[in-house]
Amino acid sequence: MSQDGLDPVIHAPARLRLMVTLAALPGGDHLSFTRLQDLVGLTPGNLLTHLRKLDEAGYVRTDKTGGGPSALTTVSLTPAGRAALDRYTTALRQILDVAGPARPS
Amino acid sequence: MNEGTSADEGTGAGTGLDPQGAAVIMQEAGQRARRELAVNQPAIFVTWALVYLLGYGTVWLSVRGQQPYHAPAGWALGLLTLLAVVALVITAAVTDRATSGVGGATAVKRRVYYLSLAIGWLGVVTMQIALRSAGASHGVIGVFTASSPLLVAGVVLVAGTAAWLNWWMFGLGLWLIAVAALSGFAGPAGTWAVDALAVGLPFLVLAGIRLIRR
Repeated sequence: MSQDGLDPVIHAPARLRLMVTLAALPGGDHLSFTRLQDLVGLTPGNLLTHLRKLDEAGYVRTDKTGGGPSALTTVSLTPAGRAALDRYTTALRQILDVAGPARPS
Repeated sequence: MNEGTSADEGTGAGTGLDPQGAAVIMQEAGQRARRELAVNQPAIFVTWALVYLLGYGTVWLSVRGQQPYHAPAGWALGLLTLLAVVALVITAAVTDRATSGVGGATAVKRRVYYLSLAIGWLGVVTMQIALRSAGASHGVIGVFTASSPLLVAGVVLVAGTAAWLNWWMFGLGLWLIAVAALSGFAGPAGTWAVDALAVGLPFLVLAGIRLIRR
């Protein structure tokens, strides 16, 4: 945890965007790699790198089905990831409350 | 929207992301995800409102003067069928646009929901044939043809609430069941008019409400 209480794994623009996007899905749902890439606007290489960091933290789960050109990679937020995003949102609200207006939705 | 984000960005300090910037990212990403992943219900409601107002309305125009009731004109039924097919295609396209790449429990529920509707409507068509072969009158067949698809849709919506916990859909399902059950009392010709208005107009209202709430 960083000094300001914001989880450093999440507190980076691309990973924050990834976490929030995945959190928009109901629990138990997952997104294909290509749809997620489309939603967050990252190159495949960058997306893979950020997903690996989130995966290592246990915040997302990636699954690969099939092989070759038809292989499908799916990504979902884990319960630990959802809880971490909730904690991040709470910490961010507290920081912004002290600083002034502009709160995360 | 690729912002050229560095793959090596790590902590907030390293990225220079301040709390205000994080809040903006959360708001924008959340809004975009909700907008892109949500099925465009206003478009679907407007599409089906047109099916009922134009399709059912046209059928009613073709039968309103019949004494005794015989059957809708072929061209009117053809228009209704065409509108229904177009509406199905639009519904599928709008749904696919939002749900493309989304898998898991919600996708399974959605497939079961649409499968239930398809099976129900297939049953309606089959039963219509059975009624004809059993010698049912034109009036009975007219009431059945107009209202039974609504009954199926209403029951599937109400039952689907168990999966979706969407009380708007539950209310709409109850309304469709009520319209289907009661419109027959308007007689075989009047049923088409009652269904057209009692379904088409609320669908337009729902589309407007959903549009405002998006």
